[in-house]
Amino acid sequence: MVAFLTFAIVVLLFVVLVLIARAQELTADLKDGKVSFHNQSKWNGYFLLGFLVFMFVGSAMCFKILGPVMLPIAASEHGVKTDFLFNTTMLIIGIVFVLTQIALFYFAYRYNESKGHEAYYYPHNNTLEVVWTVIPTIVLTGLIAMGMYEWMHIFDPEARNKKMMVIEATGKQFNWMIRYSGKDGKFGERIIDQAHVSPTNELGINWEDPKSHDDFMADKLYLVKNKPVLMKLGAQDVLHSFFLPHFRVKMDCVPGIPTEFYFTPTKTTEEMRTYLSTQPWWQTINPETGQPRWQTFKYELACAELCGKSHFGMQRDVVVVEQKEYDEWLAKQTPIYVAPAAEATSVEVTTDSTNTEVKKPTAMLGKK
Amino acid sequence: METATAAHTEHHPDIHGHEEHHEETFLTKYIFSQDHKMISKQFLITGIFWGIVGGFLSVLFRLQLGWPNETFPFLESLLGKWAEGGKISQEFYYALVTMHGTILVFFVLTGGLSGTFANLLIPYQIGARDMASPFINMLSYWFFLTAGIVMFFSFFIQTGPASGGWTAYPPLNGLRDTSVNLGSGLGFDMWILGMSLFIVSSLLGGLNYIATVLNMRTKGMNMFRLPLTIWALMFTAVIGVLSFPALLAGCVLLEFDRLLDTSFYLNNIIINGNLLGYKGGSPILFQHLFWFLGHPEVYIIILPAMGLVSEVLSTHSRKPVFGYKAMIFSILAILVLSFIVWAHHMFVTGLNPNLGAVFTLFTLLIAIPSAIKVFNWIGTIWRGKVRLSSANLFAIGFVSMFISGGLTGIILGNSAIDIQLHDTMFVVAHFHIVMGVSAFFGMFAGVYNWFPRLYGKYMNETLGQIHFYGTLIGAYAIFFPMHFMTGLPRRYYTYANFETFNNFNFLAEFISIAAIIVFLVQIVFVVNFFYSIFKGRNVEVQKTVDGHAYGNPWGTTTMEWTSPIERLHGNWPGDIPTIHRWPYDYSVNGREYIPQTEPLKPGEVPHE
Repeated sequence: MVAFLTFAIVVLLFVVLVLIARAQELTADLKDGKVSFHNQSKWNGYFLLGFLVFMFVGSAMCFKILGPVMLPIAASEHGVKTDFLFNTTMLIIGIVFVLTQIALFYFAYRYNESKGHEAYYYPHNNTLEVVWTVIPTIVLTGLIAMGMYEWMHIFDPEARNKKMMVIEATGKQFNWMIRYSGKDGKFGERIIDQAHVSPTNELGINWEDPKSHDDFMADKLYLVKNKPVLMKLGAQDVLHSFFLPHFRVKMDCVPGIPTEFYFTPTKTTEEMRTYLSTQPWWQTINPETGQPRWQTFKYELACAELCGKSHFGMQRDVVVVEQKEYDEWLAKQTPIYVAPAAEATSVEVTTDSTNTEVKKPTAMLGKK
Repeated sequence: METATAAHTEHHPDIHGHEEHHEETFLTKYIFSQDHKMISKQFLITGIFWGIVGGFLSVLFRLQLGWPNETFPFLESLLGKWAEGGKISQEFYYALVTMHGTILVFFVLTGGLSGTFANLLIPYQIGARDMASPFINMLSYWFFLTAGIVMFFSFFIQTGPASGGWTAYPPLNGLRDTSVNLGSGLGFDMWILGMSLFIVSSLLGGLNYIATVLNMRTKGMNMFRLPLTIWALMFTAVIGVLSFPALLAGCVLLEFDRLLDTSFYLNNIIINGNLLGYKGGSPILFQHLFWFLGHPEVYIIILPAMGLVSEVLSTHSRKPVFGYKAMIFSILAILVLSFIVWAHHMFVTGLNPNLGAVFTLFTLLIAIPSAIKVFNWIGTIWRGKVRLSSANLFAIGFVSMFISGGLTGIILGNSAIDIQLHDTMFVVAHFHIVMGVSAFFGMFAGVYNWFPRLYGKYMNETLGQIHFYGTLIGAYAIFFPMHFMTGLPRRYYTYANFETFNNFNFLAEFISIAAIIVFLVQIVFVVNFFYSIFKGRNVEVQKTVDGHAYGNPWGTTTMEWTSPIERLHGNWPGDIPTIHRWPYDYSVNGREYIPQTEPLKPGEVPHE
């Protein structure tokens, strides 16, 4: 009934509109048998000016209300630098935005035909055109140089710290498999062939390789503050993308092609919460949890490449801690490798890839 | 060239007399027409149909995004099993997003826009009786329609339409196993078939446009006397002809992977721990092929709009386009650069960082010709005598949108910043403003401006202006705030699983409301369009010669109004007029405008 009423109202509205339009045509301002746009131009001039004001007020409100949460607060070394680049570019384009929009709408108002002037024949001006070609070129050159410098630095293998930790993350529908190298700091070899890959060993780990014996799978991505980390990324079935919004990390995970991303987290989860507890936006209550937002703050891992119907569900918590706390956590992890004697009694645990509402995925590697 | 145009004009004077003996049936006149004006109408009306469908799909998925916890019972009656309990299913949500993109990018803003205005304006504005090959032109429309029908029918099959994103990335779309790869069943095969037919249509049309512009200009119409619309439409066709084949090749290989178990794009695929037999392919290869078209595609969309807007702004400002040659060379620069920026869509695919740097360079360079164009448009309005009719309002709106959307491209094109922004709502906001909404504004400017040429009647101004303000305010209300969802990944069914992304529910709701309003405002346009075809105010007759009535509703210099108001087969009853001057003699020599066909006065120096 409500749907029908809404529909009827909408239809009626259109009928009214058409009638108004018809009336306008019948009473049109005729001059020498031609409709004169004189009055319309006058009113539209004012409307365009009005729109200009509306647009600026709206933009300013957006910045005021949403500005503080536009980007998640950066918590990695390179993130702070790319944010600087982002903000610098925003400032520059903001200035251009304001100036060009003012010129556009103001000229449309100022020179509309109701002002009773004649147009000025002015087909080109080479000086002017050179000026407005050269200025953007210089500004853009600056932005390109800054961007390239930062970009090459982020992906420069030479700039990596030798003492970095290495973590492996593999995407699959619809989950992340996060593998740590364990106490020896070395990953067991993976062999992708029929002999090694199986439902109980999805990653194709070669158990003959002793380095694999202390590897473990984590349900959360644990990182250490100020300790560089190299993420070794891959995917099982389709494209995924490893996205850590707070760390400004994003890299596609491609089946059959290894990728990687190197970064350094700079704030622990606790430090971030403490910082956020002083920020106005984060004092507001999250209706989902009933708590102030800063209390439930956590770093998260998301998938940023469409990977199927539960693409939006590939969430994992990310925790940044001090080295000491990390060591304690490390000591509690159990390797996935089970000695051959125990094999017969091991229980298979595989991922439920059809469950779409998964909030806390229980995906684990199966045991050998 | 001279001889070709001369031969052409000599050959044709009898076409009108000859044509009168033809019996035109309903079928040859309205359905299997080879007349460029009728084909233009066919493209436009098909485009409007697709525009409504594409827009409606976005309303459906905005319901889910705006109110993720609500149910809408009417959806179940409308969509059946795709919205059980009044909630759009995940599969169908992704199908909606995919088809929304495909339909609007290809069927409305490529086929609908280029098809309509290239067909209408090229023969009229260069002084040709019709396209170089009217038959191929007709085929171009029929391939376009067939492509659309195939796409449309994929909504009605059991496994649903394609749902792997309009970019169709493998392996998600490279395997036919629907148990793991959702929506990649028959719906996606139909998508590939539809796209292939569409590409055929686009190539047939494009070759025809280029051939017509290069060979069939009337006497005196040298290249630098062409209106900017024609330059833009021709360069658009060039881009299409050079880039669409790459997509076709990419799609054919993708279909091989799906049907014949080849491994062009597949390597070491493991599904639930079972290693499939695909070896040695690269999913990234498809992305290269796709974006080799995909990026030029956005210029295929925006260049015609730019051309239309240049013409409309100049006509309605009663002032020449500022920097005519700079406009042409900036389109040329965009054309060249558009082919070497595609990998900026792939900065975070694991591409070699050096390549990323090179593509950043070229991507940001493209801002320079774009900036020149914007400054020149503003320069065109400056000290003009601006008539603020619907057509011109939309042209001004286009410039405003193009500025807003173009500027954020400078952020996204910078690879270091793109790491964070790639595949987030910021990108969605950026490209919707700069190529979606802008191109629509350009298209509307064109429709309001050339509707009299198509139908001999005006569109209603009141409805046109309501349409304009509704769309302008609404589109900004949708996409401006969306920029602030900078960290939110796109293509999410709900953000509820993430603490980080959970802060924007009120904003999503606001955007959804605005989107619904904007959709309704577009209905005003559709009503206006069909109302005006039948009941619109007639174009005023300025003179009658040999029983043919002539008019010039906007006082334009270009050739289209030297043809009678009535749409004749062959366009001009007698000889095709000769061109004596450039297309922008507005407000010069004490005259408001001087048509291109008017001979120079003794001692007058032509601009070109």
